Parts: sequence; structure tokens; C-alpha cells
Amino acid sequence: MKPFFAQIERDLLIAWQNRQDLGVMLVFFVIIIALFPLAIGANATVLDPLGVPVIWIAALLAILAGFDRLFAQDVRDGWLDQIALSQLGLGWYALAKAISHWLTAGIPLLIMTPLMAMMLNIPSQQWPPLLIALLIGSMGLTLLGVIGAALAEGARRGTALMALLILPLAVPLLIFGTLASQSDRGIISPHLMLLGAVFALLLALAPLVAASALEIGETETGL
Amino acid sequence: MFDYFANPSRFIRIANRLLLPLVILSLSTGAIGLYLGLFVAPADYQQGDTVRIIYIHVPSAWLALFGYVGLGLCGLFYVVWRHPLADIAARAIAPVGAVFALLTLVTGALWGKPMWGAWWVWDARLTSMLILFFFYLGFIALANGFDRAERGSRPAALLALVGMINVPIVKFSVDWWNTLHQPASLLRSDGPAIDSSMLTPLVLTLIAAHAYFAILVILRMRALLTERRLAALTLRPGGE
Repeated sequence: MKPFFAQIERDLLIAWQNRQDLGVMLVFFVIIIALFPLAIGANATVLDPLGVPVIWIAALLAILAGFDRLFAQDVRDGWLDQIALSQLGLGWYALAKAISHWLTAGIPLLIMTPLMAMMLNIPSQQWPPLLIALLIGSMGLTLLGVIGAALAEGARRGTALMALLILPLAVPLLIFGTLASQSDRGIISPHLMLLGAVFALLLALAPLVAASALEIGETETGL
Repeated sequence: MFDYFANPSRFIRIANRLLLPLVILSLSTGAIGLYLGLFVAPADYQQGDTVRIIYIHVPSAWLALFGYVGLGLCGLFYVVWRHPLADIAARAIAPVGAVFALLTLVTGALWGKPMWGAWWVWDARLTSMLILFFFYLGFIALANGFDRAERGSRPAALLALVGMINVPIVKFSVDWWNTLHQPASLLRSDGPAIDSSMLTPLVLTLIAAHAYFAILVILRMRALLTERRLAALTLRPGGE
């Protein structure tokens, strides 16, 4: 387990060195949310029911935008080759990447969410289900993003391609997430459980798929 | 058996022999099915003559799903057994499946306008077919997204596998979300819910469409194999 935590620590350090990127991601999140009222109009009867969906779409886009070139640096400087040879293995490496990415992108986003919920007039008794659902949803989206980044690594126009790959697969997270956030049956709603099930499936799937995709990328760059 | 079919030239020989029977099957069942469907079958008591679009709509929808299952199986064969033809087959299937998904959406829109009064409604089946269409586009973009064509094979196969697991969940979640489209009429435990005067042409057009699908895939696979062989010849030192 030691190399696993070392990998997380390394990625967190790199994220700290590039902490400006984190600010850009948060501003992106806020700006998307601010754009919706501008397009829809300031009418509260139209705007208020849209609060939760707007937060979800902004979170989805902000999290997935952060996956641009997740593995690119490691491929270029040979780190990935060392990982493939090391006892850590590509699967654990991908999981470590997901965890560090979620810690540096998902957590700040969740901290920012109550502020956004206030701006969007979401009543405070809806905050707990929204935050819990967004907590699980952001973890699921991060795993999807790892799959997408691994598949699109080395491709031309990686970012647009990644969006095309990931957004259709993100539909269940979006549907169950928004339903769970608006649940009036307490925090632990059936939708939250389904959201958790999708997350659990992705947790098992993402490291395997990412490892298999990175394996070929790793041999390819050696040519 | 997989090894036996792994040889591309043997595959082309077998496929060439299958081609003519498939063409005959597709043309004959298609012609009879469309004749029965468009001229002989009675108009629906509620929907009138509009119902006849079903003979295009339902086969297209079946083939869109059929192609998606095919993609998933090809992905499995490619990732697990590195079967060389699986990649070619997947690349051949994807655009065909995408076009049938698009055809399903277009004929559905043409059908929906007089029946539901709208070209498009955000109903579960329509939405999941739209997502399936996007999934096909993602597969095609990923398979061709690399500078060296073969480099895209593994990621695309993995995507097909992920889609194989995830698309049923997408379908389930969208069903949960909203349903307006009529439930399945053909494959039900208590037998089909369509009168035989409409069922016969529908089954015939389904057979025709599947044979047509097979013809397209074989032709595309042949073209792709030839393309690869050409590329290999020009790459050889002294070629070009």
C-alpha cells in the first residue's frame, strides 16, 4: 500500500504547485451557474425550480473539464513506464489518480456548493440531500473522467473527444443525482441508493479499464 | 474455432460465398414485406396509414441495438483474445449502427408528429436511442482519433465494453426518469401484441433489414481489410 499512498501524495504535491488550476476550475463552476440566470431571465418563478439541475450541470462540466491531459505529463516524462514496471501496477495507479483528483477538484467544488445554493435560492432544508448526492456523484464523475482520460490519452483533440465519450455515460449519474438531490423523502432516498450503486460499479470498473487502456499507450510511446 | 476464422483471407473467402445468398434473402423478404406492409395490411384503426412507417422504424431500432451488442462482443473478443478480425468488424459495424440509430430517430420523429403532435418529446425510449447514437459517434471518433489508425483499436474496444455494461444502466435510468412511448409489442412473454396481418410484413422486413445489415458489414470489412493490406504494402521498405 505504501507506493499507492506515495502516488497520491505526489499528485497532491503537483496539484499544490499548480494551485492556480484549481482556482480556474472553481471560477469555471461559478461562471456556468451565473450564465443560466442570464439566459433564462431573473424571474424567480422560472429560476427557482432550476437551482438543483443548474448546480448539477455546472458540477458535471467543471469536473470533466479538469480531466484534460490527466495522464499526459506522466506519459511524456516516462513516469507511466516506471509505474508499469513497478509493484504498484497501472490499476492502483489509476485509482490513486482518481482519489487525488477528487480531493483537489471534488472537495473544493462541494465546499463551494452551499454558496451557489444560496445564490440560486435553494431552501436550506434541501442542502443536505443535495450535498450528499453531489458527494457521491462527484466521485462517480471523477471515475468516469479517469476512464475517459485513459481512453483518449494520445489522441488528437483529446478534450472534445473525451466529452463525447464521457457525457453519454454520465447520464445515470445525472438522472439519479438530480432526483436524489430533490428528494422529499429524507436524505437516504431510493435514488441515492441507485446513485451509490452506479458509483460502486464505476469504482470496480474504472481502474481495470484505465489500466488496460494505459498499458497499450505505454508500449506505444516506447516505439 | 476463433483461430480458424482469424485468417483474413479465409474470412473473405467465406464472406464472399455468403454475400449472394444474403442479397437474395434481403431483396426477396424486403420486397414481399414492404408490399404486404404498404398495400395489403389494413390501416390501423387509431393511427390510420401513419402506422406503416413501423416497417422502417422497428427494423432500424432493432439493428441499432443489434449493432451495439455486436460492438460489445467485438470489443470483448479484441480485448480478451486479441482477435484481429474483431477490430475490423467493430470498425465496420459502428457507422452502420449509427446510421440505423439516426434512421430510428428520424422515422420516429416523422411518426411522432401526427401521433403525439410533436417532432420530439423527451420520452425514455427516444432519449435512450439518442444517447445510443451519441455512443456510436463516440466510438467512431475514438477509433479514428489517433494518428496511427491501429492505435485506436484497443481504446475503442474498451469503450465498447464499458458501453456494454453502462448503456443498459442508461436505459434503466432514463426509463425511471420518464416514459411515454408504448411498451414493447413484439418480444413479450405472452406472445406478440400485433395482429398477424401487420406482424407478417414486420417480421419479413426485420429479416430483410438484418440480412442487409450483414451485407453492409461484410462489404465494409472487405474494404477495411484491403485498406490495411494496401497500407502495409506501401509501408514496406522499397514500397511507395
